[in-house]
Parts: sequence; structure tokens; C-alpha cells
Amino acid sequence: MSGTLAWALVALGLAVVVVRRRSVVVGLVTAQALLLAGVATAEAESTDDVAAALALAVRGVALAALFLVIVARTRESRPVRAGVTPFARAGLAILLALAFVWLVPAVGLETEQSERAMLALVAFGAAVVATRRATLHQLLGIVMVENGLVLGAIELPGGASLAIELGVAVDLALIAIVAVVFHERIFAEFGSGDSAVLESLRD
Amino acid sequence: MTSRETLALAAVALPALTGLVVAVAPRRAVQPAAIAGLVLSGVVAISLAVVALTDPADLEVTGWVVIDAAAGLMVGVIGLVGLASALVSPSYLGTATPGLFGARHGTRAYYAALAAFVAVLTAVPLAGNLGAAWLLVEATTAASAILVGFSGKPRALEAGWKYLLLTSLGLGFSLLGIILLASATPGHSLDALSWRSLSADVPEGETTLVAFLLIVVGLAAKIGWAPVHNWLPDAHSEAPPPVSALLSAALLPAVLLVAWRVERALEPAIGESTGRSVLIGFGLVSLAVAIPFLWRPLAWKRLLAYSSLEHMGVIALGVGFATPLALAGVAVHIAGHAVAKALGFYAATPLLGHEPRAAGHAVTGIARTQPGLGATMGVSLGALAGLPPSPLFLSEILVIAGGFQAGREWAAAGTAVLLALGFVGLAHALVETTGGRPRRRDRSTAPGLRPVLALGGAATVLLLALAAAAFWLPDTDIVEALARGVG
Repeated sequence: MSGTLAWALVALGLAVVVVRRRSVVVGLVTAQALLLAGVATAEAESTDDVAAALALAVRGVALAALFLVIVARTRESRPVRAGVTPFARAGLAILLALAFVWLVPAVGLETEQSERAMLALVAFGAAVVATRRATLHQLLGIVMVENGLVLGAIELPGGASLAIELGVAVDLALIAIVAVVFHERIFAEFGSGDSAVLESLRD
Repeated sequence: MTSRETLALAAVALPALTGLVVAVAPRRAVQPAAIAGLVLSGVVAISLAVVALTDPADLEVTGWVVIDAAAGLMVGVIGLVGLASALVSPSYLGTATPGLFGARHGTRAYYAALAAFVAVLTAVPLAGNLGAAWLLVEATTAASAILVGFSGKPRALEAGWKYLLLTSLGLGFSLLGIILLASATPGHSLDALSWRSLSADVPEGETTLVAFLLIVVGLAAKIGWAPVHNWLPDAHSEAPPPVSALLSAALLPAVLLVAWRVERALEPAIGESTGRSVLIGFGLVSLAVAIPFLWRPLAWKRLLAYSSLEHMGVIALGVGFATPLALAGVAVHIAGHAVAKALGFYAATPLLGHEPRAAGHAVTGIARTQPGLGATMGVSLGALAGLPPSPLFLSEILVIAGGFQAGREWAAAGTAVLLALGFVGLAHALVETTGGRPRRRDRSTAPGLRPVLALGGAATVLLLALAAAAFWLPDTDIVEALARGVG
């Protein structure tokens, strides 16, 4: 994978960390998934690789459709503000990404850029889950972590197993569907998809 | 296909098929079909366990399936708890508010998700490949999260959301570790992740060590090991009681088995001492974190949830010590904990029917107004506390002795002290729960009590049998097979 593509993926990831509108974040995460599907197709060496790339594209589009429907069905009456400002979120996400790059030894993916991009996406996804309060944003953080891992699987020398790649796509779709059920129910119950309302269980 | 493979296939396929049948069956047939399917699945799973444990030296290991003593033990536990959970589910559904799916679809959704959960869970210990094991563990999250939030109450939604998010994130880190491992293996393919290939092919080096840590820390979030256990008390206390039983008695040890297999497979590369020390560390931290909560007056299901944290710690210590005595303790502990913990959660249905306040507060003096229910809860809590003749008393002794046998005197001594403290907390809870001053004087039979009493009788016999088994187990082929693993 070229350095430009790796940087594009990272830039999309960083935008997810700072952007407020849910529909824009859905678009950014989907663009990432489609870019990854494009990379997978370009680097495909067998029909299995093409099938895995196709599954990735289908997963990206299907999840985007699901998320956009949910955004339309659960309109927030006022913005769900994250407890951390966008600049602080971006700073935290970049620090986490740098820590990952420093801590994780050379992985042996096709290029050094793809290794760093994979770790950055995982770090950005974790930062989104930790710092955003909107339930849909948190879910999109998980999807971004998976996008980073997909990048790692694509860039493994020799490629990954088709069965495992399809399995990961199906698992993520299942998790997303269940999470959407929860998001809708939380919205119906509390009138907002703000995870700050979910803080009654403490010891 | 061998008889073991046929049984393994049936043990996974039957609950999956049950889920499909339940999804399309006429409304009146949903419950009978689900119970019949899950009971049959349980019987098949227990049969597989009997076959695997009767001749533990006879292994079935391929790239995708492993049927060894550890898998046999876990499949048996899952089958038993799945069967019992199916039997007590009608009592729960009779009193439940299926808010997540509404009254019309609630029963169908509950049984379809329960059957899917049992199917995926049964496949976890049978996975012969780290990649497949990860996929199955992740799939258990989707099926079980729906069940955790089944009531649709705000607290259940919160618990289900936390569970979904934290375990998915944790498993994301595990998958990162798996990718690192795949990159380090010759051929660089995820296909090379079968347990045997990992043992043979993974090279030494810091990449393997970091991969191991990422995988185990990610799995720890699912096992509920401290300090990444935050979802556990919430999900276990808010899920329907039959589901809480499956989560605690079957899911946690099944994922723990995956972590143990990873450690065993990577021992040649990362060093025996390093891998085992990580497990022992998780075990000691989990015990230390659980104990302050066991000393506090907690709502019944929340108390059982923190006890799960303690017991997963004990099992981690046993597999970390990894001597024959410790592994015998692990086998008895997994089975004894499953029986006692499942019984405790099943008792929650009549308890909450009798005293709804018990959902959020410690229950006291239940044996004075509900002797049958009090006896059942007493058997469960006494066994979990490790009160002799509980099999957990003997298994904990075995694990501690195994620690000394392994030359890890400090860890074994620390375990003994922490378990003694945990015992004091649970023993106090036992006295207060059963014999304290009752808040409610209503002596009418609690709803849903009869099936729980029947299971209580069966569980008592099983617990005594397990206590007897603890005496002869250390010298058997089963422990030898557990020690040998899939190698």
C-alpha cells in the first residue's frame, strides 16, 4: 500500500475523532472501509482475495445504510456533547497512536506505513469509544478499530484466510446490528442516545 | 467421521437448528420446541463430555477442531447449564417484561437468542484454531448481549451496552494480537494458527510476546478478569437469571480455556515462566479486587457476579500453576462452580418474585419465610464460599497445593490468604441471607420455586459427587491429559 493511501486512512480516522455530526462520521468510516476494499482488490492475487475484498465492500455499504437509517430514526433534539473538546480528543488520540507505534514491535506487514496506519486506526477507534458520549459514535469507534485490523489482515504477507476475513465481517455486522437495537431502545427510553444517562450501575 | 466428531457436530448443530426452528415456529410451539431442542442439545453435549473424559488420551485434533479432555469438560459444563437454563426459562418468562422485543415477540426472541448463544458457546472449546476461536468468542457477544438487555429496563440496557462495547473493544485488541502472531509465523497466514502449528512454528521474539499480551488482555476483558472486569457485575446482575447462569458458569470458563490454550501454545516461544506468570497475575488481581465486594451487603445476583470474578481468578491461578494437583483443582473448580453458580442464579427468579426489592438490595433471612428457597440459596452460597464439604473447598486446596508444587510459594501463600478473606465475606453473606432478620414475612410459595427446588436437589447430589471426585482425580488420566494439552 502506498504512503498516500495510508495517510488518507489515518486522516479519515482523525476526522472521526473530532467531527460532531453523526451522519458525517458514518460517511468517514464508510469511506475508510471502501478505501480498504479498494486496496484489497488492487492487491488481490487469487479469487479468495477478491471475494474477501468484495465482502469488505458489502459490509461497509450495508453498515453505512443501517447507520444512516438509525441516524434518521433517532434525531437528537440537541447535540450530544462529548465530555472532552475536539482538540483534546485529537491530542489524546494522537498520543495513544504514538504510544502504540512505540510499544508494538515491527509487525512485518507489507510496508511500514501500513503497520503505522493499522495501529493509528486502532488507537483512534479506542479513543472515540473512550471520549465520545453519543452511543452511535461509540459504536463507530468499534467499527474503526475493526477497519484498522482489516488493514492489518490485508497487508499480511501472503494475505489472510478468506474464512477468517468473512467471519470477522459477519461478526462485526452482528455486533453492529445488536448495538443498533440497543441504541434505538436507549433513545426510546431516555429520549437521547447519550451514554452519560447510562451511569446508574455502580458499587 | 469418528464418533467424537459426530457428537461434536451434533452438540453445535442441534442448538443452532433449535434457534432456527424457534424463529419460524407457530407461536404456541415456540416454548416446547425450544425446551425440547435445548434439552436434547444438552444431552448430546454431556455425552460428548463423557466420551472425551472416559478416554482422555484419545485426542481428536485437526486445524479447525479439537476434542481433548479440556474441551470435553467445558462442553459438558455448557451442556449441563444450557439444559438447566432451558428448564427454568418458562418460570422466568412467566414473570418477565420482555421490553426489548415487546410482549408479542419476546418469547420467540428470547429462545432464539438463547439457542444461538448455546450453539456458539458450545463451539468455543472445540475450536482447533485461534482465529476460529476468536470468531466464536466474538459471536457469543452478539447473542448474549441481546439476552442481557432482554428486559429492556434502563439498568439492563446500560448493562447490555457496557458489555457489548467493552468486550468488543477488548476482542479488537485480541485480534490485533492475532494479526501480530500471524505475521510472525512462517508463511504469515492466519491458517497457521491451529494450536499445534502455533506450538511448533511461532518463533521467539518480542513480536510474539506482545502478541501474546494483546491476545490475553483482550480475552481477559471477556473472561471478566480484573482489572478489565467492569461489565461483569452489571451484565450478570441485570441479565435474566437463566442467562446469568450461562454467562457465569459456562461463558467465562470457556473463554478462559481459549486464553489457556493460547498460553500453552506460545510457551515454547515466550517461555513457560512468562506465560504462566501472566495468568497467575490476573488470578491474584482478580481475587484481590473481588474480596472487598464480597464483604459488602450486595443484591443477590450482584454478589454472585463478584463471586464469579473471584472464581475466575482461582481458575487462572490453577492453570498458571499448571501442576497435576493444580489442574485437578481446576477441573473440579470449573464443574463445581458451574453447578453452584447456576443454582444461585436460578434461585433469583423465585427470590425476586417473592421479594422484588432484592433486585437492588441485599436479601436477609430468606430461610425463615421461604425454607425451600433459603435452603437452595444456602447450598449455592455455601458451595461458592468453599464451605466443606463443597467441592470448591477441595479444589481451592488443590490449587494452593499445586502452587507450592510448582515452586511458586509466594503466589500460593497469597492465594490462600485471599481465599480465606473471600470465605469470610461469603460466609457472612450466607448467614445473613439465610438466617438474618427477614424484611418480608410473606410465607406463600414464591413463584417459580418448584423447578428450582428440583434442580437444587440434583445440584446437591452433583456437588457431593464432585467433592468425592476431587480425591481421586489428581492421579487420573484426565489430569495427565489436561497437563499434556493438544501437543
